[in-house]
Amino acid sequence: MIGMGRIIRSGERVALSHYHLDSEQWNAMLAAPGAALPLMSCWADDGRAYVLLLEGDRPLLASTAVEERRYLALSSRFAGAEWGERVAYDLYGVEAMDARGNGAPALDEGGWTSTWPLSSRPGPAAGGLRPLAGSHLLRPEQTGLSGPLEFSFDVLKGKIRNVDVCAGGAHRGVVSRLLGRTPEEAMPLVSRMTAGGFVAHPLAFARAVAQARGLVPGPGIRDVWMALLEIERMSLHLFDMARTARGVDAELLATHCDHAREAIARACAEQGASRRLMDMVSCDGFREGLEIVPLVQAVHEVMQPRLAALEELHRVFAPRLDGFAVLDARLAERFAVGGVTGRASGRSMDMRRREAGMRLEALRATGSSRGDARAREGLRLAEIRDSLKLLERILGSIGLEDDEPAPDRTDEGIGVAEGARGDVWYWVRLKNGLIENFHVRDPGVALLPALGAMLRGYPVSRVPAALGSIGISPAGIAL
Amino acid sequence: MKIVQRTGPLSLLYAFMDAARWRPAADGATPRRERSIRIYVLETGGCEGCFMEIESLNGSAFALEQAGFVWVSDPADADWLLLTGAVTRVCAEMIDRAWRAMPPGKSLIAVGACAVDGGPFPASYATLGGLQALTPVRRSIPGCPPSPDDILRALQELAQL
Ligand code: SF4
Repeated sequence: MIGMGRIIRSGERVALSHYHLDSEQWNAMLAAPGAALPLMSCWADDGRAYVLLLEGDRPLLASTAVEERRYLALSSRFAGAEWGERVAYDLYGVEAMDARGNGAPALDEGGWTSTWPLSSRPGPAAGGLRPLAGSHLLRPEQTGLSGPLEFSFDVLKGKIRNVDVCAGGAHRGVVSRLLGRTPEEAMPLVSRMTAGGFVAHPLAFARAVAQARGLVPGPGIRDVWMALLEIERMSLHLFDMARTARGVDAELLATHCDHAREAIARACAEQGASRRLMDMVSCDGFREGLEIVPLVQAVHEVMQPRLAALEELHRVFAPRLDGFAVLDARLAERFAVGGVTGRASGRSMDMRRREAGMRLEALRATGSSRGDARAREGLRLAEIRDSLKLLERILGSIGLEDDEPAPDRTDEGIGVAEGARGDVWYWVRLKNGLIENFHVRDPGVALLPALGAMLRGYPVSRVPAALGSIGISPAGIAL
Repeated sequence: MKIVQRTGPLSLLYAFMDAARWRPAADGATPRRERSIRIYVLETGGCEGCFMEIESLNGSAFALEQAGFVWVSDPADADWLLLTGAVTRVCAEMIDRAWRAMPPGKSLIAVGACAVDGGPFPASYATLGGLQALTPVRRSIPGCPPSPDDILRALQELAQL
């Protein structure tokens, strides 16, 4: 019996972790016996369909040719593949055969200047906006999120039974804006993918580019990247904690979170960095003039003393979050939900653990795995404590050598960064130094197929509070 | 500022006191307006950075209300519409809906580079490239993103016009 990983590796290896499969091998992968490997992302363009999987903690990318705008659907085997298939149809008009789901648009709600805008043969504009199906709508401005995401619900007796999401309002067409540019030209835009990852997104991109170029960033750069990511983690966890707290009228806890987040932003600005660490990561390192040691010290100094009060307030208010917006452990596994939301539901994946030079002893956060808003809030707090420890350890041994070998240069790379809201993945293919192809996967995408089960049974009025507790960025999902 | 760590039964009281101690005062003179200017904020497809900075401004670390502004959740209650993001074609309808719902005497303010002219997201198949595609932008706050302090200062200046 040959497992899925071996079937993929029987294809033609074209990059460190990427295998081209012919249609027979693709079919065999979809029919592989045993459990499917966890799906990180899937996408397709005019030429090929791709699936990014996780084998242990390593990425494995398989792709196959798209013929006559069709390929065999990944959703026939992988839970959670529908979103990628719908996006591919909206952008390129390539169709997933035997796909699951209702085929509703993911991004194209009408109103674009063409249909299948990224295809080599785009269609004419569809005209006005298409109304979403469903008996109840939550308009993009009513979700309580920081960006426009539209929800439609089937509601029975005041309770949600089914959810559909459309992210067209937040779609800015970033892929089309980046193709044909050098990675350095692309970086300013990558640094504005989402405010839910001003560090995590450019970092995952920089790692993908380094791998494509056959480079390994030195230990000094690696540690600066790690430190920036931890500062961002604390800041975003505080943002999500405040929002969750406000969802249950725990204003005092939210107040302390607000103050702590602002204190971090000011410390960053005072040390010459930007408030939210925008534009700090570059393809080959970090912004010139960035002094990481005083920055880390300043952030640590303002955050550490605030922890005790936050923990105490969390203890007081946490019962209000008991049993609220539960993500079942099986669903977290099934859809490979990452970040705090996945870990609070018992999926222990944290991509930091596989990083070279990681001070593993600092990553201790454990907590309840009940999957409710209380578990997520508690875990965010525990992770802030870990981030502070990690920053101490990094300062204690900054730039310590280790012997990570450089990969061969293949002009193709995969990069990942464990952001505050989960694992951010980038795949990049270069040609003559320019971006020939490109894919981004924000962790929010993994949450989409799980939302129906999380929200089932609640009235629509509770949806904003539930969404606030899972930390989701429409900009990251829609791109 | 030195923060003393306290735990135990009195900690909640201390937390109240701390929150009060940190409560910011509005810089400068309290405005002599009869009532606060009510602002409604819409994100229209940027990176959310500007929107999140306005959310911070509306949080506890800033004195938005003391400075004479109040965030409302219904455009029918709003005097000013603050717009962030690059104005995706899909969002144009949402802007129109909010604008129509606002009472007479309303103003529109673009916050951040995206909202003015698309910033890093100029016009494309999916975006209009900022408010300028819909209307002349007379009131705007630059930045990518502007800080909450920048936004508050600019709002106060606009209120004096
Ligand atoms: S102006 Fe800059 S920070 Fe603001 S939404 Fe646009 S890209 Fe983001």
